[in-house]
Amino acid sequence: MNAPLPKRIWQWFTRTRVGRSIFRIGLPESNLERSQVMVSSFLLHVQPAKVNRHSLRASYSLGLGLISLYLFLILIVTGVLLMFYYVPSTEKAYDIMKDLQYVVSAGLVIRNMHRWAAHLMVLFVLLHMCRVFYTGAYKRPREFNWVLGVGLFLLTLGLSFTGYLLPWDQLAFWAITVGTNIAGYAPIIGPKLKYLLLGGNVVGQEALTRFYALHVIVLPAVAFFMVAIHLWRVRKDGGLSRPDEPGDIVQQVELKQLPTNKTYGLMELARGTTPQVGKNPEDEVFSWPHLVFRELLLFLLVTAVVLFLAIFWNAPLEELANPIHPPNPAKAPWYFLGLQELVSYSAFWGGVVVPGLLVAALMLLPYLDRQRQGVGRWFARERVVANTIFTVCLVTAIVLTIIGTSFRGPNWGWVVPWEQPPAITEGH
Amino acid sequence: MNHSPSNKDNQNVSRRSFFQLTLGWLASTFAVTAAAAGAVRFLVPNVLYEPSLRFKAGKPDDYPDGSVTFMEAERVFLVRQGNTFRCLSAICTHLGCTVNRADHGYHCPCHGSVFNDQGNVVSGPAPRGLEWFQVTLSKDDRLVVDKNQRVAADKYLVL
Amino acid sequence: MNDLSVRKFYGWFTALGLLVGVLVVIGYYRDEYREWKNYQHKFIQEEIRRASTPQQRALAEQTPVQIRQILLPDLNRVDRCTTCHLAVEDPSYGGYPQPLAYHPLHEQHPFERFGCTICHRGQGRATTTTDAHGNVPHWDQPMLPLQYIQASCGQCHEAADNPAAPELARGQQVFEDSGCRGCHKLGGAGGVLGPELDRVGARRSPEWLKKHFLAPASVTPSSAMPPQKFSETNLESIILFMLSQTGESAPGYYASMRVIPSASEGQRMFQQKGCIGCHSIGDQGGKVGPALDDVGLRRPPEWMMQHFRDPQTVTPGTVMPRFGFTETEARALTDFLVHLRDQKVALSLPSLMSPVERGREIFRKYGCAGCHGADAKGGVPNPNAKTAEQVPGLIYVADGYTKDELKMRILKGQREIPALDAKRPPPPLFMAAWAGIIKDSELDDLVAYLFSLKPKEENPGF
Repeated sequence: MNAPLPKRIWQWFTRTRVGRSIFRIGLPESNLERSQVMVSSFLLHVQPAKVNRHSLRASYSLGLGLISLYLFLILIVTGVLLMFYYVPSTEKAYDIMKDLQYVVSAGLVIRNMHRWAAHLMVLFVLLHMCRVFYTGAYKRPREFNWVLGVGLFLLTLGLSFTGYLLPWDQLAFWAITVGTNIAGYAPIIGPKLKYLLLGGNVVGQEALTRFYALHVIVLPAVAFFMVAIHLWRVRKDGGLSRPDEPGDIVQQVELKQLPTNKTYGLMELARGTTPQVGKNPEDEVFSWPHLVFRELLLFLLVTAVVLFLAIFWNAPLEELANPIHPPNPAKAPWYFLGLQELVSYSAFWGGVVVPGLLVAALMLLPYLDRQRQGVGRWFARERVVANTIFTVCLVTAIVLTIIGTSFRGPNWGWVVPWEQPPAITEGH
Repeated sequence: MNHSPSNKDNQNVSRRSFFQLTLGWLASTFAVTAAAAGAVRFLVPNVLYEPSLRFKAGKPDDYPDGSVTFMEAERVFLVRQGNTFRCLSAICTHLGCTVNRADHGYHCPCHGSVFNDQGNVVSGPAPRGLEWFQVTLSKDDRLVVDKNQRVAADKYLVL
Repeated sequence: MNDLSVRKFYGWFTALGLLVGVLVVIGYYRDEYREWKNYQHKFIQEEIRRASTPQQRALAEQTPVQIRQILLPDLNRVDRCTTCHLAVEDPSYGGYPQPLAYHPLHEQHPFERFGCTICHRGQGRATTTTDAHGNVPHWDQPMLPLQYIQASCGQCHEAADNPAAPELARGQQVFEDSGCRGCHKLGGAGGVLGPELDRVGARRSPEWLKKHFLAPASVTPSSAMPPQKFSETNLESIILFMLSQTGESAPGYYASMRVIPSASEGQRMFQQKGCIGCHSIGDQGGKVGPALDDVGLRRPPEWMMQHFRDPQTVTPGTVMPRFGFTETEARALTDFLVHLRDQKVALSLPSLMSPVERGREIFRKYGCAGCHGADAKGGVPNPNAKTAEQVPGLIYVADGYTKDELKMRILKGQREIPALDAKRPPPPLFMAAWAGIIKDSELDDLVAYLFSLKPKEENPGF
C-alpha cells in the first residue's frame, strides 16, 4: 500500500540534494532513524529519543504544560504582529485599537486571539501547577523545576498585567490603578515599587511606556529563558514523573560506572542486549512518532480553540481612559480579583501578608515536603494531608475570585449578580 | 512496512489511514499557509496617515489666468493658462529639493538645476524633467490633483 | 506496530486539521466581506448606470473599493464616514436614500477640513453602520439627532452670532430668560447650587436632558432642581443649547474662524475697546471724536472698514489710533455702526442705561429668576419651606429690608431655610452666598432694580 500523498512528497523532497542538506535524516523509516531524527534536529532535540509510555498518557498530565507552552507561542506570534501597529502613546494607543478593529485586515481576529490566549494561559499555567502538585511531581529531584514553575506562573501574571494596560481604555486604566495600588501596600518597598512601576505617581504616559517595555521584551525574554531551563530540567530530572520511578541514586551510580566520557548522543539503539539499569525497554517508546504526533494534535486543538474564541467573541474595549471618571466599582483583572477582595478586608494582611506567604509557601513546598512516596499518581493516598491543604487554598482562592468578579458592585458593596445589572468589568 | 498478523486488516486500516492522513495534512498545510498569508495581509496597511496624494486644490476661479501658484504642503505648482489647469511637481528630480518659481521656468536652489515652463531640464544635474500630475474636476466643482497619476506635459484639464 | 500506534489518532488528526482549516476560512470570510464594501459596490453600480459617456463609464468601473477617510489632526480625529457616504459632494445625488445622499451646505465647512463628526458626532473611526453612528456601549458621543444639529455650531461660534443657527440663539435666550444661572455656572458665571454646565453637552444625551428638565428627580435622585415648565418649543431649544456646551476649544485654524461678524458682536467690541471714551452716542460718551449716532447715513461701509484698518488713510491727521483690528472684527464694528439708528441696539449699551435697567440685566445675568421666578414674582416650588413651600418672590422686598440689609443678604446668602415640618427632609433650595461672584457696582444696580419692583400705588407697611 502506498504511503499517503503528503508523505510521498516529503519523502521525495528529503531525498533530493537540497532536502538532504536541510533535513539530514528525512522521514524516519527505521528505529535507528527514529532515534536520529530526534537527536539531530534543533527543534526536536528538546525531547529525548525515547520516552516512557506513561508519559504519553493524556489522563496523567492532561498536556497542561504543553498547552501553556503553545499558548505562549501563539501569544508571541500574535503579539509580534500587533507590534507592527501599536504605539505605546496615551494619545494614540486607543485610536490604534479602534483601527485594528475597523481598518486593519484580520486586525480584530489577531487582537482577539492575543487576548483570549492570554487569559487561557493564566488559567492553564495555574491548572498545570495544580496537576504537578496533585501528582506529587515536585518531589525530589524535581524541586528546583517546581520553583522555576512558580516563577513562570508569576511571570505569566506579570505579562498579563502589563499587557492589560496597553489598550488605554477605561478597563485598562482603572484595573492597573487598582493593581498598582495593591502593590503599593507592601511594607517598606511598596511605595518605591509602585513609583518604579509607574515611572511616577500616576498612571500616565510613563507607566504606559514602562509597561510596554516590560510586556514586549523584558518579561517575554525572561520567561523564554526560564521555559528553556524548565524543559531542560524535565529531561535531566528523568522525564515526566511517573509511578514506580526508580530513585535517582541508582542513576547517579550508573553514570559513574560508564567507561565513556560522553554524556550526549544516542542512549539506546534497537532492542538489544545493552544493559540499562532502571529502565525497561518495554516501558519506552520512540518519541517519533508517538510523542511528536500527539504533540501535533494537541497544538491543532489549542489553535482551533483559540481561533474559535477569537472569531466569535470580541475582546472588550471600553471608552478612552479618563482619569477623572472612575467606574464604580473599579476592578483589577480577574486573576487579581481574589486579591482585591482580600485587600478590601485589610490592605496589609490581605494584600501583602497572605499573598506573600502563599508565594513563599509555594516556593518552599518541595523542600518542606520530605515524604518520598506519592509521586506519579493523582491524589495518592499517602498525600491526603498535603492534597487537602492545597485544595482548601485553591478553592478559597477561587471563591474569593468569584466573589470579587460577580458579587461585588459599586463601592465594593454586596450585589447579587442575577438581580443587578452586570458590573462594568463583565466580559473581560 | 508493518508486521501485523492479518494482512487484510492491515489493508483496510491502511486505506482509511491513507485518507485520514492525507486529508489531515492537506487541511493542516492549508491552514498554516492561509494563516501565513493572513499575517502578511494583516501587515499591508489599508489606510494611511500621511497627507493624501489625492487632494482638492480649491475652486478654478481661485487661480488667476496665467498664474503659477505654489502649494507648500503638497509641494506642487498649480498652473492656469486661460481655461486649462495643470499641476507640476515642485520636487527636483536630482536629489529632492523643492524648486523655486523663476520668471520663466523653475530653479532648484540646491545644486542649480534649471527647468523650463514645460518642466524639462534646461541645465544642471537633474536627470529628468519635473513630473506633471493629473488634474480633474470634482462633482462639487473643485480642482482635484492626484499625485498618484503622472501625466504627460500636454495632458491638462480644460474647463 | 503495536497497540500504542499513532494510527488510532489519524481520525483525530483529520478532524482537527479540518477544524482549524474551516475556522481559518470562516475568519477570512468575516474579515473580507465587510458591510461597507456592499455600499461601495452599490454606488459603483449606480455610477455605471448613470454614466452617459464611455469615459465616464470606464472611470466608474475603475473606482477602487477601499476605505476612505478624512484626516483631521487639528481636530484630533479621523472620519471614515465617506467610506459609505460616497456621494456627499455630488449635487446630482440629492434626494437619494442614505448612504448615497448628497450633503448640502459644505461651502463654508469643506469636508476635507472639517470632516463629519465635529458636527454630527458619532464614532468617526468605525466602519460599520451601528458602530459609526455611535449608539453603542462604551461610546459617549452618539450621532446627534438632526433636529439638534445646530448645537454643534456652538462649539466654534458664539451662540447669539450665527444667522445660520437661529435655534441655537433661541436656546441661549431661553437659558438666560429662565434664570438657570441662578444655580448653574456656565462660562464661569452663575450660582453654585447645581453643577457647572460647561461640558454638559458632551456627557448627556438629548433624552436624558429632556427627562432632566421635566422631572429632575427621575434622573438625579438627590436633585434639588424643581421641574421646569417649558413649552414644547422652548424645551427643544434649551436642550439644543445644552448640547452645544461640550467644553471643546476650537484649535488653531478653527479658532481664527470663530467669529461671524455681526452687529451684536460689534456692539460687544464697541464696549470692550472703550470707543465711548472718545465718541458719543446719544448724550453719553466722549467729545474727542465725532458723535456716531448718524454715522451710518454719512459714511459708506467701505469707508468705515478702511477707517478701522488705518484711520490716517481716510482721515489724515486724526488722533484715532490704529487698533489693529482683524477684517472680521472691523466688519463686525462696521455692522454695528450701520445699525446704530436701530433703537433697540442703542439702548442696550450698559453705559446708556439707568441703574434700574442695569439691575434688571444683572438680575437676568445671574439667573435669579431660576429660584425667585420670572420678574421676581416667585412661584418656584421649594418643598417643606416655611415660606408657603415656595422660594419667596421679591416684589415687596423694599418693605422688609433697607438697601444695606438687602446687600448683606445677597452677599451672605442663607444656607439654612426654616422648614415647615421637622420630620420631612429639609428644603432643597437655599440662597447661595454671592460674595465674590457679584461685583459691588452690580450689587448697587441690582438692589435698585429690586427696590423698584414694588407696585407704586400701594402704601408702605402691612
